[in-house]
Amino acid sequence: MSDDWQYRPAADLDKRAPEQWRSLRRESGLLSWGAHMAWCGLTGAYLRAFHGFRIEGREHLPKHAPFVVVANHSSHLDALTLAVGLPARMRERAFPIAAGDTFFETPAMAAFAAVFLNALPMWRKKCGSHAMEMLRERLIEGETVYLLFPEGTRTRTGVMAPFRAGIGMLVAGTPVPVVPAWLDGCYAAMPPGSKFPRLRPISLRFGPPLVFAAAPNTREGWRDVAAQLEQAVKALA
Amino acid sequence: MTPLHPATLGITLFLLALLVIAPVVIFVLQRLGRLTPTMRKELHARYLSWLVLVPLMVAPILMGRLTTIMAFGLLSLFAYREFARATGFFRNRALSATVVLGIALMLFAAADHWYGFFVALPSLVVSLLVIVAVFADSPQGYLQRVALGIFAFALFGVCLAHLGYLANDKNYRPMLLLILLCVELNDVFAFCCGKLFGRRKLAPHTSPGKTWGGALGAFVLTTALFAGIGASVFAGSVLASPVHLVTMGALLSFTGQLGDLVISSVKRDLGIKDMSAAIPGHGGLLDRFDSLLFVGPALFHYINYFVGVGADLPARLWL
Repeated sequence: MSDDWQYRPAADLDKRAPEQWRSLRRESGLLSWGAHMAWCGLTGAYLRAFHGFRIEGREHLPKHAPFVVVANHSSHLDALTLAVGLPARMRERAFPIAAGDTFFETPAMAAFAAVFLNALPMWRKKCGSHAMEMLRERLIEGETVYLLFPEGTRTRTGVMAPFRAGIGMLVAGTPVPVVPAWLDGCYAAMPPGSKFPRLRPISLRFGPPLVFAAAPNTREGWRDVAAQLEQAVKALA
Repeated sequence: MTPLHPATLGITLFLLALLVIAPVVIFVLQRLGRLTPTMRKELHARYLSWLVLVPLMVAPILMGRLTTIMAFGLLSLFAYREFARATGFFRNRALSATVVLGIALMLFAAADHWYGFFVALPSLVVSLLVIVAVFADSPQGYLQRVALGIFAFALFGVCLAHLGYLANDKNYRPMLLLILLCVELNDVFAFCCGKLFGRRKLAPHTSPGKTWGGALGAFVLTTALFAGIGASVFAGSVLASPVHLVTMGALLSFTGQLGDLVISSVKRDLGIKDMSAAIPGHGGLLDRFDSLLFVGPALFHYINYFVGVGADLPARLWL
């Protein structure tokens, strides 16, 4: 009977801060979970009070993890807005994929990004296929939701840039649904370069999910996935 | 302020002296070419960790009653955190929060000097854990979840809190320093005696490094050390008699080694080597402080039975 017990140690058990904050396999405990939830609550209240935050199409979100949300990227407000846009019970599983070289460079910044934003780092310059493979594995294991901006960087003009193939490496050939989302108003409220947000209305629209189970897990497959998702996000604008 | 007990001063100075002498010894060994590079690195990491750990252990005890209770409370929380992450129990948010609440309440009962609540909490928190686990409405794995929660609360909440509760006694500084010193040296004695005359394995499946020679050697040496310093710490009470001193020393050495074996069993069952990577050179906090687990309740209740703990402090300070 005792043989039936299953233990699953934390995936980042062998790591200590600050490597733990930067780990792609990070699992939050009570403290960081509480901090993340409180942060989402505060940003949600702020967005509703000062930006008239509205959400449409929530019915398109899958009921259970895993899934990926991809959106256009124009502002530092985007990841916060997207996280708040999810139903509360999904927020603890939601990991915004954030630029490592911006959000995880210094230990203090990494602590903030990991504990409050629940972000996972993507190193834009030295991102190897190994990191993508780890993210893909974690997604397939079934308990996570990724919030992703496939443009790779914030638009400097307000016009959406083409999606990079990286998103394809995560989902091609998997049954994991990808939900396209359109963020409206974040660019007007806080474009790149501005320090403080302006009080402009912000809204978020989810579209019907796409599945790429049949897409080949190859370079062409990844590009195809990215192109399809780009179209789906544009269609929501 | 009451003058420092000679044993308090003695143990503190002894520990400080060790921290000063250790790097000299390491340096000499290195000069003599007795250290391989890996050994040198390991010794270095261990020494640096002790350089942080010793002040963290001694300073709260020297500072006062509340800081002592808080320090043991923090130790409880960190030890629980390691256990929860190593077993995967931490994913049960509600149960994990209940264990943390239980630990916080033990801490409060100790700080309030409310013995009735302190001894009532184990049954109350265990009941709460069993009940909270029902609300998830997923009976699959119910027993495992509840059992892990109760195990964690019993070991890291209840057992460790006894050391904090000792701070309510007016003699707590020398008592706690003596306990910490003997528990840590108990490990060292077991290691050294094992190297010298360890032949028969003590529990090869649980902890392959441990030998009967090491265990018995530590038992004799720690008992003698405790009795020697204890004569000064417990002077003027019935516990100063040789029978009591030897019994307490033996109890400490025995329960200390058992704590070590219990955490070894946990690690073997989980298939991990260290509970975490919190302390460089040592592994997790629990790898270092596992021996403290049962020493607290054993000595606390022994002392409490014969002379009473905290007889000079009014009970229920706040509530």
